[in-house]
Parts: sequence; structure tokens; C-alpha cells
Amino acid sequence: MPITRNRTVIRTTLLAAAGLSAVGVLSGCSTAASTPAQGSSDSGSTSRASSSSASSSPTSDASSGATSASDDNGASSSAAAGSGSGTYKNGTYTEQGTYSSPGGQELISVQLAIHDDAVQAVTVKTVKADPTATSYEAKFIGGISSAIVGKKIDDLHVTNVAGSSLTSQGFDDALTKIKSDAADD
Amino acid sequence: MPPTTERLRFSAIGTVWSITTDRPLAGDAQHAISERIETFDAVWSRFRPDSLVSRIARVPGRHAFPDEAGPLFDLYRRLGLATHGRVNPLVGHRLENLGYDAGYSLVASADPVGVPAWDAVARWDGTALTTTEPVLVDVGAAGKGYLVDLVCGVLDDFGVDEYVVDAGGDLRHRGGTPVRVGLEHPTDPSLAIGVIELENAALAASAPNRRVWGDGLHHVIDGVTGMPTRTVAATWALAPTGLEADGLATALFFAGPDELVSALPASPFEAVRMLASGSVETTPFFEPALFFATAAVRDRSLDGSSAR
Repeated sequence: MPITRNRTVIRTTLLAAAGLSAVGVLSGCSTAASTPAQGSSDSGSTSRASSSSASSSPTSDASSGATSASDDNGASSSAAAGSGSGTYKNGTYTEQGTYSSPGGQELISVQLAIHDDAVQAVTVKTVKADPTATSYEAKFIGGISSAIVGKKIDDLHVTNVAGSSLTSQGFDDALTKIKSDAADD
Repeated sequence: MPPTTERLRFSAIGTVWSITTDRPLAGDAQHAISERIETFDAVWSRFRPDSLVSRIARVPGRHAFPDEAGPLFDLYRRLGLATHGRVNPLVGHRLENLGYDAGYSLVASADPVGVPAWDAVARWDGTALTTTEPVLVDVGAAGKGYLVDLVCGVLDDFGVDEYVVDAGGDLRHRGGTPVRVGLEHPTDPSLAIGVIELENAALAASAPNRRVWGDGLHHVIDGVTGMPTRTVAATWALAPTGLEADGLATALFFAGPDELVSALPASPFEAVRMLASGSVETTPFFEPALFFATAAVRDRSLDGSSAR
């Protein structure tokens, strides 16, 4: 992949579903159960957070999301690959992940509704935030939008992600766990 | 699947690091990496009262820097010229005043100081920085990417030749097998706006929205106006080194890729930026990697990113 030098042509185009103006704010958890996902009711057969927990109180049901925070500090672990074939049980899954903010370790809870191998709805909640992290968290949560509907999980998962977020690490941790929870095997 | 499957994760300089290698990193290599990061932090962190830049902020005069400073100040000078002063490492006090300080007060003072022009108050002679007033150097525009390069250098020294060093979304790859890297959507980290293959190059991203406080305040400051940029939502730059990629990703908030060629005449680079309007500008390399709205292109992109 040589880097080619060619800068005279600059195209301006509109992006797909991802347009900034299309952001519909999902505030906290209240939308978790109410957005699209009929898919969330037809199975919910995961061992972790069953769909019953989708209905929601802000932090309490997040903490029922079981698996504890992963260790980011110096621990060496192999990358979770997930199942490449990409079949997932329908249902609503909740997992927690950590990320490192300048204020310390934060815990977020990510809930996904999956139907026909596609993400129907995403909700991200702060389980426990220290005050300095709140503003970052608020933006992160506010940025989750309905634009995600229809994106395959495996399309989201690449080896690395070039982005600006501190938060994405925690999100990715949670997403990885959800993938393994939901993988048919 | 790439052969880089061993992943070392840790937190440093306020972000999450991930170093992927084809075999486990020995303990002494891990130690050398954390030493390298600590040494860098002790010079450049404006969040540490004992750092060199914090000392310079208190005491004007002549301050010697370690060798690593040369390429960093040189890049800042080049980007400053190309952006007519809008990329300026002296935004530190302004950022503090706006609330992005060591204590993360995130409260802007009523009358924040302006950003001094570099030539008016500072002179870099290749080994030392001479300042005529207390100025706070902030290398946020390129420091993280540069530290990625320095960590890559440690891996090189230990004979590791297949790796990805990822400092919270700014990354550099070396090896025979390219890695697939998603371009994170600036307002929704669960989405990617495209996927590229990264091979023996560095990719940096910048999107201020994840660190926003107050009334639209964020950390990408225009060195001329002293105000946060507003027209660009996110940028990505591909370049031979992390230093260049990170610096370009910041400079793209102030100038198009064509205007930045003069800053890096010897380094080919590619760039894409997403404007606040939702439209995207890209150089040719990134174009086929982006998920565009038309059906034909979308089909191709989905095809290219499916698991196999």
C-alpha cells in the first residue's frame, strides 16, 4: 500500500447514514426498550443480561450486566476475534466495559439489540462516573444515534480503529463481550 | 487474520494504548516502553508541575531540550507556516484559561489570554528553546503521534518487526501483513465511516467532540483567533510517521490537504476530513475506503469489509 501523492483532486460528497445532522439523541437508558428492536423480545436467551433487564433503570440494571470490568493496566491478553462467520442469536445483550479517562477508570454499560445479525439499537450508560468524566460521557452517550440500525457487527470490528475517543476502548471491550455472548456455537 | 495477535494494553498520557505484536513482548521490552513514555511525559506534559514545559511556563529564559524535541518543533514550525500561524504550540495558557487545565476545571475564565505568536516570544535553536515571557507549550497537535513513533523505535530496538502501536486511535504499523483499520465516526464510536488497510505507515485521527466542555469549547484551538475550530468535525491523515500523521490531522482543521503539501514536501500523505455539515473531503487514497451513500459504492464497501 504505497502512499500516493495526489492532492489536486478533492472530492466533496455526502456520507451515508452517518451524517452528523442525523444524530438522534438517545438519552440514557430510557430509549433502550422503546427503540426499534422487536428483535429484543423474541429471544433474549443470553446467559448474561436477559431482555428483561432491557426495560431499565439507569444504573441498577446496568450493574446486573454481570461481567466485570476488564483490566486495562498492563495486562497482556490476546485479541478476541469473535466468530468470523457472523451468526448471532437474536436478543438484547448488555455488557460493561471500562475506559481510561483523565480522571481515572470509568465504567460504562453497553446494551445492544440484535436481530438477524444486525444491530437494531444501542444504548450506552454510565455506570459510575467521576465528575470530571461526566462531560465526556454525556457527549459520548448523546452521540449514539439511530444511524446505527442495520450495520452488521462484523462490519464494525476491525483490527484497530482510528478515532479520537477515549471512550471507544471501553465500548469496544463491551462489544467484544457481547459478540461472544451472542455467538452461536 | 494478521499474524499480530498478542496485544498489550495499558493506560498512559491520558489514553488507552494497545500494542499488537506477532509474539509476546518480553518483560524488558515492556519496561523499556513504559520508560520511554514516562521520559516523554516528563518533558512535554503540561498536566505535570514537574515537567519541562511547566517549568518553562513559570520561568522564561533558555531551556535545553532532549534530542527528541528537534523533529517535533520542526514539524510545528512547518505546519505553522502552512496554516499562517493557526497551528501554534503556544496555545497552552489559552487552553488552560478556557478550562482545559491540569485539574480539568472545564470552566472558562471570563477573559482568557490570547495565543502569543511563536516568533514574538520564542526561539528554537535546535537544542534549546529561548522564551521571553512565560509561555505554556502544548504539543497536543502532534505529540501523541510522535510518542507512537518513539515507542515503535523501542520495538525496533528489541528486534520486533511486526507490530501495530495504537495510542488511543493514533496508530502506526510495521510488518508484512497490513491491518484493517476502521475510521471511527466522530459522533458515534460504534460506527466506522470507512475501512483502510494500513501497511508500514501511520494513521492519525482527530475529532474534538469527545472532549467538549462549556459552550462548544474543545481542545483544537486556532492559534490566530484563540477559539476552538468549528467548521471541521473530524480529520484523518495517513503519513509515513506518527508525528507527521498526527500533526497533519490537527492542521487539517485549519487547511486543506493541498495547502499542507508545502509543510511536508518530502513526505507523501493522504487525508480525509468530515465537515460539520456532514460532508466529506478526501484525497484519492481514502475515497474507495469510505462508506458513501450511493448503493453501488455501499455494496462494494460492505463486500470489502465482510469477514472471510
